[in-house]
Amino acid sequence: MTNATQAATATQVYQLYIRATQEEFWDAITNPAIVAKFFFGAQVESTYEVGSKLRSLSPNGSDMWGDNTILECDPPRRLVHTWRSLYDPVLAAEPESRVTWEIEAQPGGLAKLTVVHDRLDSSPKTAASVRGWSYILSNLKTVLETGQALPPIM
Amino acid sequence: MVLCVHDEDLVFKALADPTRRLLLDRLFERDGMTLGELEAEVPQLTRFGVMKHLRVLEEAGLVVTRKRGRHKHHYLNPVPIRLIYERWIDKYRDRRAAALLELRDQLEGHR
Repeated sequence: MTNATQAATATQVYQLYIRATQEEFWDAITNPAIVAKFFFGAQVESTYEVGSKLRSLSPNGSDMWGDNTILECDPPRRLVHTWRSLYDPVLAAEPESRVTWEIEAQPGGLAKLTVVHDRLDSSPKTAASVRGWSYILSNLKTVLETGQALPPIM
Repeated sequence: MVLCVHDEDLVFKALADPTRRLLLDRLFERDGMTLGELEAEVPQLTRFGVMKHLRVLEEAGLVVTRKRGRHKHHYLNPVPIRLIYERWIDKYRDRRAAALLELRDQLEGHR
């Protein structure tokens, strides 16, 4: 395997189209009230300035789920932050990875979201667990298109 | 209708072919392969054949490509499958399960 492929293998890409404007999309991923609806009820706090923290807490605020850092912020197009899964001690012990949100306007009143979760080279358990992005992103689609969250996973 | 929308028809058509399902399985095992690497995974296909199938998968949104240096990498995008699952499977699961339970009760009740 080449080095390029090794790096590529430690990357996951998720993409979906949503009937929303780029701005609505941006608001959905940075507005705590909306994030809570599609991200397991997480309470998110951040000023969304480069270098600032992006913290997420459990719904009742008792557990720290994420204590990440904003790496890039270019509204309403691009948000990059670090990722470490603090909600599970085994995953939390693995090195930090990176999440990039890219929003592109599309013809026909649609916007395209691409989520790239990379730098997972040394974090295989995290890589396996964050396959749940599919659930989160389809939930985001439902929230944006209907205003309702999906029922929780059993 | 914009072609790039994850049109359900495109997803079902893409999944209806065994070679394309094989390509998705290979990407599930090892994500981010280049065309050359994917070709090596399915030696029964020509380069042209692999490209043709990848194009159908890309149009359905099941494969997303990203350039990295000189190489183009192919990623399995599971989101359209998740949407199909929620729309076509999850919705009917409870009803089917209930119907099976009812059948079982009937059969056992008449034994």
